[in-house]
Amino acid sequence: MIKDLTITKFRDGLRRKEFSALEITRAYLQEIERRNPELNAYLTVDSEGALRQAEEVDAALARGEELPPLAGVPVAIKDIILIKGLRATGASKILEHYTASYDAGCVKKLRAQQAVLLGKTNCDEFAMGSSGENSAYGPTKNPRDLTRVPGGSSSGSAAAVAADMALGSLGTDTGSSVRLPASFCGVVGLRTTYGSVSRSGVMAMTSSLDQVGPFAKNVEDAALLFRAIAGRDPLDATSNPQEYGEDLVRPDWEKIKKLTVGLPKEYFIDGIEPEVRKVVTEVVETYRRAGIKIKDISLPHTKDALATYYIIVPAEISANLARYDGIRYGRTQINADKTQIGADGQRKSALLDLYFQDRANFGAEPKRRIMLGTFVLSSGYYDAYYAKAQRVRTLIRRDFEEAFKQVDAILTPVSPHLPFKLGEKVNDPLAMYLEDIFMIAVNLAGLPGLSVPARVPPGHLPVGFQLISPHFREADILGLGRLHEMTTANQ
Amino acid sequence: MAEETIAGKVSLVLIDQKILKHLAKLARIDLTPQEEEKLLKDLEEILEYVRELRAVDTTGVPPMNGGMDLRNVFRLDQERRGTNQGQGMDAFPEGHDGYLQVPAVFE
Repeated sequence: MIKDLTITKFRDGLRRKEFSALEITRAYLQEIERRNPELNAYLTVDSEGALRQAEEVDAALARGEELPPLAGVPVAIKDIILIKGLRATGASKILEHYTASYDAGCVKKLRAQQAVLLGKTNCDEFAMGSSGENSAYGPTKNPRDLTRVPGGSSSGSAAAVAADMALGSLGTDTGSSVRLPASFCGVVGLRTTYGSVSRSGVMAMTSSLDQVGPFAKNVEDAALLFRAIAGRDPLDATSNPQEYGEDLVRPDWEKIKKLTVGLPKEYFIDGIEPEVRKVVTEVVETYRRAGIKIKDISLPHTKDALATYYIIVPAEISANLARYDGIRYGRTQINADKTQIGADGQRKSALLDLYFQDRANFGAEPKRRIMLGTFVLSSGYYDAYYAKAQRVRTLIRRDFEEAFKQVDAILTPVSPHLPFKLGEKVNDPLAMYLEDIFMIAVNLAGLPGLSVPARVPPGHLPVGFQLISPHFREADILGLGRLHEMTTANQ
Repeated sequence: MAEETIAGKVSLVLIDQKILKHLAKLARIDLTPQEEEKLLKDLEEILEYVRELRAVDTTGVPPMNGGMDLRNVFRLDQERRGTNQGQGMDAFPEGHDGYLQVPAVFE
C-alpha cells in the first residue's frame, strides 16, 4: 500500500476515506520495524507520538475540519534537528544522553501542519561526512544496494524515504548533505536558499552554510514539504522574510518551458564516471526535446570551491563545537575523580579534566575538523587561510551572478561517481571530500540546488542530476524537475 | 601586500607534533599517539590541498562573511518570554538549587 504512495495520493486517499491516517502510520512503523535492523536509517523511533498524532488527524477529519496540506503525512527528521522530548544525538557519542528541550523551527512548522513525526534518522556525526559512515551508531546502508553507502551526511533521511520507511523527511545540506544521499538513494532532495528555512534548533556545524531541506519520492512532494518549512523565524536572525508564490507547488508551465538552462564546462570534466556522464547527457537531451534552451556557460572559480570550503567549514566547526563541554548537553561517562596530566605535562584543573574527558568522545572526523579549524583560525594564519577563503568565496558567488545573467538555471551531475562501497573511502578524508566537488559551490554562494533521480535502466544504481537557480527561485528548478519527471514517465 | 607576505610564510609551516599538541590543548581534545600520527598525515594532506588558494588573485575582493548578505536585523524592544524557560536545565548532569554545578576551576 505505501510503496506507490506520494503526499498528494495520501491526501486524496485520506479525504476519500480509502484509509485512515492511523492505518498509514502503522504501515510505516511496521516497515521501519522490518527494515531498520538491516538499514540502520533510524536512531530513534517515536511510535507513541506518531500514533497519537495520526489519531488526532483522523479525529479532526471525522469532525469535518479542513486539514492542512501535510496533515497525517509520516515524516522522518535528521537527528541533528531537535524534536522536543526526544533524544537528539546528532549521531555523536558526546550527545548520547541528550534530550531536546524544544522543537526546531522547521519541526514547529511541521507540527502546525499536523504532520506525523516518525522519529530521528541516522547521519554522519554532526553532519560531517559524505557517506553516512561517520555515525557513532553505525553506518546506514543504501536500500538500493546494501553493500554501498547511501551518501551523507543525511544518510538515514534519504534511506528512509527510498525504503518506504517514511513518506518524506528532512535533512540538512552544508556542502552536499541532502543532494548527495538523494542522488545515491534515488530520491528527490532539495538544498534550499540560505535563510529560507529557520536554523533554530538545528545543531550548528557551519553556520554560514547550513540549511534544512526536504527529501521526497517526487519533486511535487519535495515542494510541498519545502513550502511547509520555509519562512521567517524570529529565533533565527539569518532567516529571510521572503514569501514564496503558489508556483512553488503549482508550476507556471508557460514560464518553465521558456527557461534557459546552462551547462558549466567546468562540471563536465574527465573525472566523471562514464555511466554518470551518459545518464546526465541523456537528461540534457530530454530537456532539449521538451523545448528548453540549453546554453554552454563557464563558472571559472569552480576548481577553487572545495579548498575554500575546507577552510571555512573547519573554522566554523571549531567554534561551533566548542559548546560541547560535558556540562550543558548531558554527559557521557567519564571518570570525574581522575585528574589527568595534560599533553604539556601540566596538571589540569578538575573542570579542564571534564572538558578533555568529555570531548574525547568526538569521533575521528569532528576531531579532524576541529583541529584543522583551530589551526586555520590561530594567530598568524587567519589572513592566509580564513580571510583568503572568504575572498575566494566572493569570487565564487560572483561567478554564479554572472552566469545567471545568461541563463535561468544550471544543470550539473550531483556526484562524479556512482554510490561507492561501504568502507571504500572512509580512511581517506581527502577522497571523501572530493565526492562533494559538484555541490559545494552552491552552498558557498547560498544558492538552492535540487537533486533529481535520472532515468536509469532497471537494476542499475541511481544517478542524480542537479539543478541550480538564483536565490529564492526554487520554483524554477522544482518546475524543471517536474518537467523531467513528466517527460520521462512513459519511457 | 601583507596578505601575500603571510601566505608566503605559511607555505613553509608544516604541522609538526609540537604544533599539533598545542592545537589539541587549545581545542581541549586529548589525542592518543595513534590519533596524533593519523592526524599529522591527514592535516598535512588537506592543508596542502587548500593552499592551492594562494594562486587565486583576490586583490580588491571583499570577504564574504556569512551565508548571503549581512544586514542588521531589528526587533521591537519588548519583553519576550521563552517558551521553554528553565527546561534546558534537564540536561545538566549536576545541579544545586536550580544552579548548574561544575567541578572546581582552580585547584
